[in-house]
Amino acid sequence: MPDSIFSQNYFEIFSMDISTNPDLSVLNESNRELQRLVHPDKFASSGDAEKRQAMQKTSLINQAFNTLKDPALRLQYMLSLKGIDMNAETDTTMDAAFLMDQMELREKISEVRTHSDPLDELDAIAKNLKKTSANLIVEFDKYFQTDVLDKSREVVRKLQFINKAQREVAELTEQLEDELL
Amino acid sequence: MALLQISEPGQSTKPHEHRFAIGIDLGTTNSLVATVRSGQADTLPDINGQHLLPSVVQYTGDGVLVGQQAKDNQVLDSQNTISSIKRLMGRGISDLKMLGDNLPYVFAETDSSVPRIQTAAGDKTAVEISADILKVLKQRGEQTLGDKLEGAVITVPAYFDDAQRQATKDAAKLAGINVLRLLNEPTAAAVAYGLDSGAEGVVAVYDLGGGTFDISIMQLKQGVFEVLSTGGDSALGGDDFDHAIAEWVIAQAGLNANDLSAGTLRLVLQEACAAKENLSEQDQSEISIKFDESKTWFGTLTRDIFHQLIDPMIKKTLMSCRRALRDAEIEKDQVLDVVMVGGSTRTLRVRELVGEFFNTQPRVDIDPDRVVAIGAAIQANALAGNDPDGNLLLMDVLPLSLGIETMGGLAEKIIQRNTPIPVSKAQDFTTYKDGQTAMAVHIVQGERELIDDCRSLARFELRGFPPHVAGSARIRVTFQVDADGLLSVSAKEENSGVEASVEVKPSYGLQDAEIEAMLKASMEFAGEDKDVRSLREQQVEADRVLEAIDSAMADDADEMLSEDEKVAILSARANLAAARHQAKDAQELKSAMANLETASAGYVARRMNASVQKTMAGHKVEEFNND
Repeated sequence: MPDSIFSQNYFEIFSMDISTNPDLSVLNESNRELQRLVHPDKFASSGDAEKRQAMQKTSLINQAFNTLKDPALRLQYMLSLKGIDMNAETDTTMDAAFLMDQMELREKISEVRTHSDPLDELDAIAKNLKKTSANLIVEFDKYFQTDVLDKSREVVRKLQFINKAQREVAELTEQLEDELL
Repeated sequence: MALLQISEPGQSTKPHEHRFAIGIDLGTTNSLVATVRSGQADTLPDINGQHLLPSVVQYTGDGVLVGQQAKDNQVLDSQNTISSIKRLMGRGISDLKMLGDNLPYVFAETDSSVPRIQTAAGDKTAVEISADILKVLKQRGEQTLGDKLEGAVITVPAYFDDAQRQATKDAAKLAGINVLRLLNEPTAAAVAYGLDSGAEGVVAVYDLGGGTFDISIMQLKQGVFEVLSTGGDSALGGDDFDHAIAEWVIAQAGLNANDLSAGTLRLVLQEACAAKENLSEQDQSEISIKFDESKTWFGTLTRDIFHQLIDPMIKKTLMSCRRALRDAEIEKDQVLDVVMVGGSTRTLRVRELVGEFFNTQPRVDIDPDRVVAIGAAIQANALAGNDPDGNLLLMDVLPLSLGIETMGGLAEKIIQRNTPIPVSKAQDFTTYKDGQTAMAVHIVQGERELIDDCRSLARFELRGFPPHVAGSARIRVTFQVDADGLLSVSAKEENSGVEASVEVKPSYGLQDAEIEAMLKASMEFAGEDKDVRSLREQQVEADRVLEAIDSAMADDADEMLSEDEKVAILSARANLAAARHQAKDAQELKSAMANLETASAGYVARRMNASVQKTMAGHKVEEFNND
């Protein structure tokens, strides 16, 4: 079975159905079982070719695992299975209201230092982003289930924006924490 | 000690098949070697029955002394006797300042970026000195086992970056050791602890050694040790407690560290260390130091003062714990056990504050010195093939994000920290000038956005791809991180197939004379100058961004943008133009740039595609493959 992983989609690798909200405990369990079979440590005394293969297989499984674990990556991947490439930005008109929201948010982030408790404020922003993200995932599922792919795609683009903002908030939080020391 | 009697069920090795392998804990203060015999993992003693080998090397005119003897000679022959060399592993000359002025060695003048310590036996690098320690441990293993070694698992701090890992592997090579795997210290400790206790669930391993700190959050389940996240500080440990006490002593004695000889400094450090250890038993510790014939200083270090000295450092470790929990998406109350590892967790204050933080009594019932070597031995035994049906599996992660430098001195992350390894990832980049035929790839490791704040790992060049319009070349950079956490990188221009590949060797960012000068400058100037410099850099970058967007919009704004998009871009552009002149700090300017970037992301991508089509138009594909 592990040999076939190169021709399987990420969900198939873990013997799971394609789903917006996969059961993460099943994913974790399946990941551990696969790693037992293919991890490079299991081939430490094998030949170079086998070692290399073990590394490639494990790298692929890790990539698949990471993709399915992370909502934005997972949804993007689900679209790619439908032949939609998020990176090829062909017909990308973003709804203006969302963009304005994003800019406001960025402004809020950039001004966070002037806030009386910047870390608290960042926490609040992070919570908000998490909520937005959860809503977008629900929205995606609705469109994806009914095969409305252009709408699904738009939702994923929004999710990517949110994701980027989440990373920035996390980075700024760490930076502020460092400065407090 | 229960730990030393771990037996692995199902280990049915036929004697003639058994391959000998050892686990080595190459520590800042002490090192150990362990092995599995008849299913039991144990550390190996020297002929005097000592298990711990002090990581101290003395170079004399006629040889090398390693261990206790060298340690005993440290005060008398401080310049030739090297301790805590682990702190210099994978470090460049530029890092020496950062590590403090407390290094009592003479560094050789050199063109190389690798620091060399002058000794009676010639100039020595950290790799060579570590190799001398490893040789002794290897020999101990061979003598005890009476056979040739298959190889060794060598432990490294989880938070070691690529350069530090590579240096460790190089040292092993120099010592003639076949490295089966570099294993992260907290992971090794978890293996020993987990197999011994049979614990299942989420465990935090808090590993504070002599010179390094690691925190790993791990999931233990049926023989699988899965690291969920790791964090730490590869330049923080019990040594720093000693230094803090030493500085306090010197200040109390009304002296200046700069006026003291290397031998005296060493003596003060030894007394400081002794006082620290006393405080684990007593409420206060008397210190007396004979600075010279005429001056002997007596003083009392109370727990209160000691706590004032070290609390900031412990708080720093707790910040790393908070981060690791966040990365693992684990709440404190989900942590089943906090396992204390490393000699510095003997300091009561550390236990107290860690216990408070995790809201639980940390586990201190395992030998914090030996547990890492024992875990390494168990994995070495499995990797050597002595446990073919075993359940043991270690799944580890990348401790620090990997990225490459992009325009404007920014780091683009390719693989995020705490990604399970091995892992490979490809990412496409493009050129920024018309007709550009070469591209320098600068690989960095770290979490910060600015290249300067990350660790430079290596640079390589991709040359000879055919000229394109700016933004239309597609350079695919593939990062592969192996199970040792070591990186190799290859790059390929997709249109032409031009390929370049490097094995990442530490660059210290110093090969380039310009950068060396920059680093020197940044060290000489105070923090304020650094802020000014980074604002300048962002202003230059802002000018570039403004120019680029203006020129692009003059070209094709009407055909490529909707009215809404145009309004959004122009408003972000106006804000950036204002910030270019008014911004007081780099951060402010950067966020204005990020806004413009957000607003114009779709536009930029469309232009890139259009540019590719334009370049290709009227040409045959083969033309792009030549040259």
